[in-house]
Amino acid sequence: MNDLINDLYQEIILDHGREPRNFGECEPHNKSADGHNPLCGDNLKLTFLLNDQNIIEDIKFTGEGCAISLASASLMTEKLKGKKIEVAEEIFKDFTNLVSGSDEDLKVLNEEDSLYALKGVGGFPMRVKCATMAWHAFNQALKD
Amino acid sequence: MDDSKTFNLNVRKDFPILSKKILEKKDLIYFDTAASAQKPNTVINETNDFYKNHYSNVSRGVHTLSVESTFRYEDARKKVQKFLNARSENEIIFTKSATEGINLVAQTFYEKFMQKGDEVILSLIEHHSNLIPWFFLRDKYGVELKFANIQPSGEIDIDHFESLFTNKTKIVSLTHLSNVFGTELNEKAISICKDKNVPILLDGCQSAAHLKIDVQKLGCDFFVFSGHKTYGPAGIGVLYGTENLLSEMPPYQGGGGMIGDVSLEGASYAELPAKYEAGTPPLVEAHGLGIAIDYMNKIGLDNIIEHENEITKYAFNKLKEIDFIEIHGGDNKRNSIISFNIKNVHSHEVSSFLDVEGIAIRAGHHCCQPLMKHLGVNSTARLSFGVYNSLEEVDKLVIALHKCKEFFNK
Repeated sequence: MNDLINDLYQEIILDHGREPRNFGECEPHNKSADGHNPLCGDNLKLTFLLNDQNIIEDIKFTGEGCAISLASASLMTEKLKGKKIEVAEEIFKDFTNLVSGSDEDLKVLNEEDSLYALKGVGGFPMRVKCATMAWHAFNQALKD
Repeated sequence: MDDSKTFNLNVRKDFPILSKKILEKKDLIYFDTAASAQKPNTVINETNDFYKNHYSNVSRGVHTLSVESTFRYEDARKKVQKFLNARSENEIIFTKSATEGINLVAQTFYEKFMQKGDEVILSLIEHHSNLIPWFFLRDKYGVELKFANIQPSGEIDIDHFESLFTNKTKIVSLTHLSNVFGTELNEKAISICKDKNVPILLDGCQSAAHLKIDVQKLGCDFFVFSGHKTYGPAGIGVLYGTENLLSEMPPYQGGGGMIGDVSLEGASYAELPAKYEAGTPPLVEAHGLGIAIDYMNKIGLDNIIEHENEITKYAFNKLKEIDFIEIHGGDNKRNSIISFNIKNVHSHEVSSFLDVEGIAIRAGHHCCQPLMKHLGVNSTARLSFGVYNSLEEVDKLVIALHKCKEFFNK
């Protein structure tokens, strides 16, 4: 099988694509945002609970999409749960660099991270938006 | 080797991009002609030659280059007129796209013939480009929009369509060939409009290079298509309209080239077709479209259609045999387009997987989100064929689809 395809669809991606973790709506929640990829119609709704110490206590998503967008959202929720907002923002920056094909100068992510599995998206520039949809929704929710 | 293969091999040499290797080693199999067709050498070389040897603005100067440019631009109009069998060159308006053509009609037809509460009939299978220009009329002026249902076959439900007419129906706008199902519009829809004396616009983006178009025989009042889907350049579109309607409707945009006489107090407007062509037009692209029409005529549109029908039927039957593939629409005749899904695999995955095999297909909602909702899918994979495709390519696709299914369901 082609290396590019194997890089893109690592086992963990296929697994999270088939069975997304933290799928549902967070109750209660105080932050939410919708993610939408107008080019393909994929969409998600992200909800999370930010406590008074600025820690993400719980985070969930619902939506429909391709394996990359579902796996990315699923891995994101796993990664961000329990993180302080400042750390989450650093991860967001690192992640967008990673899937755009540049994994140099990453501040908080390293090869041990499950999010690293999405690095293969860099080989498919038209799929970067699939991988970042959930993250942009997260970023949007912080701004609202 | 049978005739169709010989024909196809000869044609393939005309398209330089077909010798490109995808990811450095895979032969390109281009099954995305419905999104945009590839360009033959004649179009590439002739547009190049225009810039090198003949380029200037059109219809303005009196010098040699202006004459040469104007001649080419207007010659392209003649070719389009013949291609569509319009009565006169005055009925051929060059636009930048088919989309612009629909926007032009929506805005100017409304201005002349409609008011708040009047109705437009569309259908559920329309491309966004034949929805949003009419949404603008609904949002800005209170025009009512009605949508004809579709049957499971992917065709418009004619009875429902007919039931939508009232004495407030002012215009109908429908796709001539569905960009999702590849099904042709039932000609009854046009005759119903004729009977009720309501003008009809046909969106011919997918039909123009894949069906023989005769606007007089069709009996449509407007017809739009784009250059880039008919082997010509992007940036040029065509609006055909009957001279009666185009004469009565007001200009769309104001600017140079569309005027009769201008003073500071006001202006008179140019005669057709210049009235609707404000500003410097996409003149080289228009010429390129004319060359693309020459190219199709040289091969023979009948031959192209026969060839595409053969491939479409072959691919349809092959896909139909595969149990994990769901084809959208019925078993009725399709023209050059087939939409499908692999069960439990998102169309994005299918498209990325095929991409590394060198196969280009479209994945997504095809600018038909209301239709996707109706089908109960988020997106589909779409095959679309052109003059350069072959049965062997379909065989390679089928092998790749099996590999794809295996990969994602392992």
